[in-house]
Amino acid sequence: MRSPDAIVIGAGIVGASSALSLTNAGLRVLVIDRGAVSSGTTGAGEGNILVSDKDPGPELTLALQSRDLWFEMQEDVGDSFELEAKGGVVVARNDDRPLIKLASEQSQHGVVTQKLDHDSLHQLEPYLHPDLHSGIFYPQDAQCQPMLAAAHVIRTVVSRGGAFISQAKVTRVIVENSRVAGVETSQGIFRAPIVVNATGTWAGEIATMAGSHLPIAPRKGFILVTEPTKKYVFHKVYDSDYVSNVASSDADLQTSTVVEGTRSGTILIGASRERIGFDGSMNYEILRRLAAQATSLFPILRDVQLLRAYRGFRPYAPDHLPVIGEDGKVGGLWHSAGHEGAGIGLAPGSAALITDAILGKKSFMDCSPFSPRRFARVAV
Amino acid sequence: MSEIISFTFNGRQVQCEPGQSIAAAVINTGTLSLRTTRFGEDPRSIFCGIGICFDCVVVVDGVANQRACLVTAQSGMKVESRS
Amino acid sequence: MIIVIGAGPAGLAAAEAAARNGSDVALIDSAPRIGGQYWRHRTEVSGYRSNRAEALFAKIKTSRSVTYISEASVWSIERDGSLIRVNYLQGGTESSLTAEKLIIATGAYDRSLPFPGWDQPGSMTPGAVQALYKGHGVLAGKRVVVAGTGPFLLPVATTLAEAGVEIVGLYEAHSPLRWTLSPVALIFNLSKFAELIYYWRLLAKHGIRPQFGRVVTSFAHGQATISHVDSDFRMKAKRAQTIEVDAVAVGWGFLPDLTLGGIAGCKQRVVSDGTTVFDVDRNQLSSQPNVWIAGEATGIGGADLSLLEGEIAGLAASGQEISSRLRIKRFAKELFAQALSRSYPIRDGWKSWSNEDTVICRCEEVTLANIKESVVELGAEDSRTAKLFTRAGMGLCQGRVCSRNVAEIVAGLTGCSVSDEERIASSNRPIAAPISLGLLGDGKK
Repeated sequence: MRSPDAIVIGAGIVGASSALSLTNAGLRVLVIDRGAVSSGTTGAGEGNILVSDKDPGPELTLALQSRDLWFEMQEDVGDSFELEAKGGVVVARNDDRPLIKLASEQSQHGVVTQKLDHDSLHQLEPYLHPDLHSGIFYPQDAQCQPMLAAAHVIRTVVSRGGAFISQAKVTRVIVENSRVAGVETSQGIFRAPIVVNATGTWAGEIATMAGSHLPIAPRKGFILVTEPTKKYVFHKVYDSDYVSNVASSDADLQTSTVVEGTRSGTILIGASRERIGFDGSMNYEILRRLAAQATSLFPILRDVQLLRAYRGFRPYAPDHLPVIGEDGKVGGLWHSAGHEGAGIGLAPGSAALITDAILGKKSFMDCSPFSPRRFARVAV
Repeated sequence: MSEIISFTFNGRQVQCEPGQSIAAAVINTGTLSLRTTRFGEDPRSIFCGIGICFDCVVVVDGVANQRACLVTAQSGMKVESRS
Repeated sequence: MIIVIGAGPAGLAAAEAAARNGSDVALIDSAPRIGGQYWRHRTEVSGYRSNRAEALFAKIKTSRSVTYISEASVWSIERDGSLIRVNYLQGGTESSLTAEKLIIATGAYDRSLPFPGWDQPGSMTPGAVQALYKGHGVLAGKRVVVAGTGPFLLPVATTLAEAGVEIVGLYEAHSPLRWTLSPVALIFNLSKFAELIYYWRLLAKHGIRPQFGRVVTSFAHGQATISHVDSDFRMKAKRAQTIEVDAVAVGWGFLPDLTLGGIAGCKQRVVSDGTTVFDVDRNQLSSQPNVWIAGEATGIGGADLSLLEGEIAGLAASGQEISSRLRIKRFAKELFAQALSRSYPIRDGWKSWSNEDTVICRCEEVTLANIKESVVELGAEDSRTAKLFTRAGMGLCQGRVCSRNVAEIVAGLTGCSVSDEERIASSNRPIAAPISLGLLGDGKK
């Protein structure tokens, strides 16, 4: 492609959705990636599209919109990436008051919640431990196969006049008169007046190449995968009591073990949004903790064999909010990164925000809380 | 032979010598197929024979995905192709 | 104490050498009997120079310094300060052993290449046929074809023939003339001629005539198709032959078992034929302190080399000097190992044996067409992305059987070669043996 209107760096789900949204807005988009499609964090994701794990605030607003945009994107691209509104069940252990309080706050902001008593909880998830007595059902929580999604979205972009070049590692961001002018890569120089940085954990490096700064760091997360089993888990099931002192702060509620079945018959056990711990290399103690959590929710899983475990690197900013907007120093350089464990779910929403901002259109929400400029004060 | 091991495979009685694997015992009766696959329902038997390939997995006393080439047959075992 | 994982030739030699030099040894193995895949036996070891096995077995069994733990599957290895902890499953419970030093001798398993029908019952590896008979006294069938490449086909064919199986065909894909590429290795290993004569006599006794340049290219319902191939393994259009058989035993050399060394963090490298092996120094020490690796996991070389590497590892782990005599013997066997890979290379033509609907990943039933689609339609460019799109390599065997084949099929489609990084990454398996979540979570059955 000779002269694209915009270059998107990163062929994960965030970059792919941005490219689709810009393409649909009439721009000619070139997507580049240092590897293949889905070869970064998207390829290590569970495909969570969640509203249940978010506190009221800008991220929840984004998540709600983005969740609906996922279904629109499916209509646009075709039913090819296993998108499924399977719903989430958050289980309370002992004191269910913090959970009920969070749910009631969420429901005031548009989240559909449904309080579950012992019977309704066990109707939804018959294999749950019989002692578990209460929970909340979040029917909006959904799931997709993120690698397939990114691949099909990129394919759609290309079919609509865009282009994708893989194995193109950015070596320099070309900046002229404080405005971005293109990128130099291992596959040559590409020039465009708009560059979208959707490189997840590597977003900070791209910002630095442009002479700017973005404090995004990788954080390791673990996912356990079992052997294929009969269907024991019907929704995404979270444990709200992962940290023992559940009532101590709202942040604790967001550190929950997730157990869910997949179409291939395996069961995934992960942590939806761990904000504490979980750093370090392959740590068998963490695997043991996750297994203990999962089996205390579902005793039937005690006899199910763990087959593999893998780590992913989640990109996060110091305040745990995604970074979506134009760079503070370099005009025309737009960032959409730092989505931490929620990148799959927030991808199309972030893409809509970026596209609206680039076109100067009013968007569905005020995106200033996500602005990269918020780090200006702490920048070195 | 001092002792004969007797177990069932898909309800059928199978006898073997002590120390033989489930796969060896079943194959010795002339039956090669140990299970059918999850998606294509294709028959499968032992392939690597040493526990690497997991192609011979059967349900042993209700526990799924046991490698028939590794599990030693015991009297009274209930072995099934699928649960 | 020294923990030795694996009781095949390398592990036994390591345990014996370490015990002889005053070390306490814990020898862990997943099988019910010592000997590994090579010296697999029900009652006594048979075959070429089996007396070596009996001598080694006797030393291990009578040594007071060796604790032998059988039927134990190691599922993970952890560092605990300067100590190494080995977690293993045995009889439905989990146990751990902790020691200062670890010797990994996990061996190898048959390499398989896909062809139409290789997933049918009756199609198995030579190792499976051997294990079935030697380990359990059961024959895979009355009429069997042994095929593939490499010298291991000879003991398999002769063992089966001695047991009364009709070897309907013994097909070696390569020409024996390839050995002329390695004259030096042969001069350093004249004893190998005695081994060859041993097998030749047995083949002659049973009227088995090996045929070269032929491979099994399909198998279904008791019928095997034997095709002539060129030196690149491409089928020649002419002359395919169909024969009635009960089973086909097809093997393409061996793949080192890299799982446990990988968990221990030991550095790997890719050798010239594309096989990933562990990088060890002249004392068999890996990149990890106090972790030695011996035998096939450092490169396929056969039992003779494994015995020497095991002995060197056992001596080094016990703080002994390694004599130059041992080093020279190992060097000669290494020359032979190189000659093996030069004589029996796997050529790209195997990719043309499969049809669109041939299963490539047996566990997840991923076909060649699925892999092609992931590359052509979805943009997969390496085995990792192909795996994410198709699930090839994500099943129960964790890609042990298919990952190398998938990587090479994808490389063939994209026109790129498989990178060393990709080859090494595909052996990363943090859970070496399946463990139930109950055991993992609280240690209770």
